[in-house]
Amino acid sequence: MITRRDFLKRAGAATLSALAAGYPRRLLSAEAAAQNIRPTADTVIVLWMAGGMAHTETFDPKACTPFEKGMAPSAFLSTFPSIDTAVDGIKFSQGLENLARVMDRGTLVRTYTAGDLGFILHSRHQYQWHTGYAPPQTVAAPHLGAVIARTLGPLNPVVPAFVNIGQRLDVGEGEELKAFTTAGFLGSEYGPFNIPFPDQAAESVRPPGGMTPGRFENRERFFKKLLAAGPIGQYASGYQRESLLRSLDNAYRLLSSPAAKAFDLALEPPENLRKYAPGYEPGRRFDAAADRFGAKYEDQMVGRFGLGCLLARRLAEAGARYIEVTTEYIPFLNWDTHENGHTRAAAMKRQIDAPVAQLVLDLEERGLLNRTLVVLASEFSRDALIEGKPEKKVKDQVEVPDKIEDLKFYGMHRHFTDAGCVLLFGGGVKRGYLHGRTADERPCRTLEKRVVIEDLHASIYTALGISPKLAYEIERRPFYVTRDGQGQRIGELFG
Amino acid sequence: MRSPVYAVVCAAWSAAAFAGLTPEQAALLPPASSRPVVFSQDIKPIFEARCVQCHGRGRDKGRFRLDTRESLLQGGDSGPAAEAGKSQESLLIGLVSGLDPDDMMPKKGTRLTAEQVGLLRAWIDQGLPWEAGVSFARPAPLNLAPPAPKVDVSASSPLNPIDQMLEPYFAARQVKPGGVVEDRVFARRVYLGAIGLLPPADELEAFIRDGGRDKRAQLVKRVLAEDRAYAEHWLSFWNDLLRNDYRGSGYIDGGRQQISAWLFEALATNMPYDRFVAELANPAPESAGFIKGIVWRGVVNASQTPALQAAQNLSQVFLGVNLKCASCHDSFINDWRLADAYGLAGVFSDGPLEMFQCDKPTGKIAEARFIYPELGEIDAKADRAARLKRLAELMTGPQNGRLPRTIVNRLWARLFGRGLVEPVDDMEQPAWDQDLLDWLAKDLVANRYDLKHTLEVMLTSRACQLPAVDLGEAVSKDYVFRGPGVRRLSAEEFRDALGRLTGVWYEKAELPVATNSIRAALVPADPLALALGRPNREQVVTTRAAAATTLQTLELTHGQTLADILQRGAAKLVESNSTPGELVDHLYGSALGRTPCAAEKQLAAELLGEPVRPEGVEDLLWAVAMLPEFQLVQ
Repeated sequence: MITRRDFLKRAGAATLSALAAGYPRRLLSAEAAAQNIRPTADTVIVLWMAGGMAHTETFDPKACTPFEKGMAPSAFLSTFPSIDTAVDGIKFSQGLENLARVMDRGTLVRTYTAGDLGFILHSRHQYQWHTGYAPPQTVAAPHLGAVIARTLGPLNPVVPAFVNIGQRLDVGEGEELKAFTTAGFLGSEYGPFNIPFPDQAAESVRPPGGMTPGRFENRERFFKKLLAAGPIGQYASGYQRESLLRSLDNAYRLLSSPAAKAFDLALEPPENLRKYAPGYEPGRRFDAAADRFGAKYEDQMVGRFGLGCLLARRLAEAGARYIEVTTEYIPFLNWDTHENGHTRAAAMKRQIDAPVAQLVLDLEERGLLNRTLVVLASEFSRDALIEGKPEKKVKDQVEVPDKIEDLKFYGMHRHFTDAGCVLLFGGGVKRGYLHGRTADERPCRTLEKRVVIEDLHASIYTALGISPKLAYEIERRPFYVTRDGQGQRIGELFG
Repeated sequence: MRSPVYAVVCAAWSAAAFAGLTPEQAALLPPASSRPVVFSQDIKPIFEARCVQCHGRGRDKGRFRLDTRESLLQGGDSGPAAEAGKSQESLLIGLVSGLDPDDMMPKKGTRLTAEQVGLLRAWIDQGLPWEAGVSFARPAPLNLAPPAPKVDVSASSPLNPIDQMLEPYFAARQVKPGGVVEDRVFARRVYLGAIGLLPPADELEAFIRDGGRDKRAQLVKRVLAEDRAYAEHWLSFWNDLLRNDYRGSGYIDGGRQQISAWLFEALATNMPYDRFVAELANPAPESAGFIKGIVWRGVVNASQTPALQAAQNLSQVFLGVNLKCASCHDSFINDWRLADAYGLAGVFSDGPLEMFQCDKPTGKIAEARFIYPELGEIDAKADRAARLKRLAELMTGPQNGRLPRTIVNRLWARLFGRGLVEPVDDMEQPAWDQDLLDWLAKDLVANRYDLKHTLEVMLTSRACQLPAVDLGEAVSKDYVFRGPGVRRLSAEEFRDALGRLTGVWYEKAELPVATNSIRAALVPADPLALALGRPNREQVVTTRAAAATTLQTLELTHGQTLADILQRGAAKLVESNSTPGELVDHLYGSALGRTPCAAEKQLAAELLGEPVRPEGVEDLLWAVAMLPEFQLVQ
């Protein structure tokens, strides 16, 4: 584990100059600087439940009514019974037994409420979750990971600071996702290193297909010699040339450094692969072009999220700063249940339960949990009947029949924004703590201690030692890391 | 009947009340300064630091304007601000004294010190001597009036007009520009600057061998005349500015519209710039996408409704004005006000547009108007079609000197690496040589807004043939022009250069262009293009970040996209059955415009092997493509 002092000693000129770089300028008011925030975490892992994870089917179970042909949709609040966890007074939904056993290591927020954007569009809410700002914006707003990458850099200068695992950007609403999966105006140095398929992560730090390591190194050596053999004089120096050569060096260093091994899941003992991805056959390759529709997709992707969690652990150990692993947003797939909510929620819980719990246990075993903040979240929740918030309903997007005749209508298919679960582990958060309360009758809305995105971000930033009032200058105006600098750290979440 | 005593008390009371203070408070006023007050030293700085934000530069809180002595004396809603000779009774003094806790000025920021109040008192007592010509009103916008350069450019001089104007500039700064660069460096600059392609090796050789005296000028003309290549290159520049792309957010539900076909045609036919702007501001369906903007489903912040997007984008791109801040509130970074942004938005909106401040309704309706009323007016009561027609007239009419200046500045920035005005989106600032900017703008207008003409003038100048200069990371205020800046190939230029080198282009163009060499601008962004900086055009982009980053080089060293191009290219080159020596010569000629020196040739030949190995060719291609000499335009 690299300490700050080690980092500064080892940090290459590239990292230091990037951090010290004037452009865009950092703006920190005297007031914010005086806050003198002591960080409790060095690394953040966000586990992104893309598509809208229903709170009453996961971490905030309510009364369960089993399926009965002809039942009314209003008859059920949860479609699973609840189970005990390691913490008295906190119950989870059936299917999350592994996570239930590690609840005593973390904090559960039940009252995350999404913004009111007038219409439920997943990508817009995801944009707001990841940038802290409602789209559209007049400037290219940076992703949470990019802000952290720009402000802190990686722990290990060789490793990309910001890694994004599990999301293809050329499918579904890919264009809308690209709009926030970016460093925006902060500059591409701080953008995400994208790894859509964790089983193939090693390839992104290996020579491109068909090239042996020997040839790759030879090519690098040849390049240096060719460069030296060419004419000097007016090509000898300059900012552009130095940036290019330095960046090429950095890219090459990643490959040849021990940190590159972190990307290779094949180096992990097979029993660990099984713990993170129970249904996955080692060596099977996820097909990037696989049919994305219907049940076939979900079968084909078994284990992908789990392996992503394992990769995240390895990258955290190797010195990345912000790692996001997602179950992947594809319209109508995964958590985005417009039908078959019950069966799909069961499948999603199978996807996440073992690996997330294992991630927490592994970090704990390696002595990393205290300094690694793990955040599991989603853009909003779900309900059988309500679209939006009870007082701020939005256009219904899913037909709900008066009587449920088929299992496919049994579940949470509408988009509910007045409650939501965020599960946090490590990085200084309280252990075995429950924050907020939701109603036990429909609407199962937030009653106490509402949490909004700028405050959640403020909590993450302050855990890392970053002020929620930090701003970067763009077009001569400050752009704050939390909305207009208004984010407030939620002190109760921390020990 | 009121007693005389009462009258006196009332008079005293009202005198004190006139200053807003009770008699007790008035007694606490700081005394007037005893020395003679100098307006420019003592008073002007106080106004500029503490008052002008709300009462000057076009702002008039409480309908009080500090602009001139007359407007100060006249006052605003609360009455005259001062009475000459009577500082104790002057409202201004009472307010800035801070003695009345309910009525203090300035409303925001630090109080005036006792010394400053004393100076103001003395100034008022001394009769408010106001230096002639000083005004706190909004200054006349720079770069707006029709350009009228003060220098005389001689048409009979052998020197290019740009060089004529730079002579005194260089002399004044003791800059001795070097000799012009050699032919192959110049040719590379011209081809890349004008059409975004590397000079073909055979054309380059012919150019170098050519002994003609004006061969460089002829080269520029020839290259600019390649209409399709020109369009394919400048398509990216305009796509960035006009938020146009084949894919992007907002298309998925019909809230956004492409202008690609119209734009390509406009570039390929070298549509005059005034017509170009008019067709965007007052569009037919095929060019309507720009002012349509992105219509989002659901609720958006009031500052991002389509009418406001149109106002922001039109003014940024064509007038170099930033209305983004003023779309929510009176801007803190420039003099634009909420009413200005909404006024322009009102021109585009379908119905009456309610003004929102910080996303909260104000109840006021924006009256449609142009942001520079000095250029002319738009009848707010006319229908939308008529308003847009009038807008197009104001944008492109002879009275609008901002339009040509903004575009020539962008073109100059493109070719020389830094604009005459920087940032290029903030045109209300002086240029580093005002006459040069004005002359270029006037010349564009005089040549019927022919952008190729302006490019030709720039490319044939001696200035554009000077050795390249290292411009560093950020734009510095101490910048002195010494020559074109070293710049890096854009994402599209890099890909197209590889195309020239390898013969590997794209498969399928998004536009019906008759060509087998499909260039990067004709297809949606691929991972390589994105990594190298082709932007997501959800916002207007006028400058791309230039320097290399590690994420970019990771894509260049590990990425499959580039690897595939090199593999396919190598296969083609191996098919040509050249010897290693011939191949190296060919690659260096195409990529760098020169012959390899002995050391380079030997290294490369070793790598290629005999007979030539495909892997050797791939690796040589890669290495050459990574050379600064390849990626940078010197």
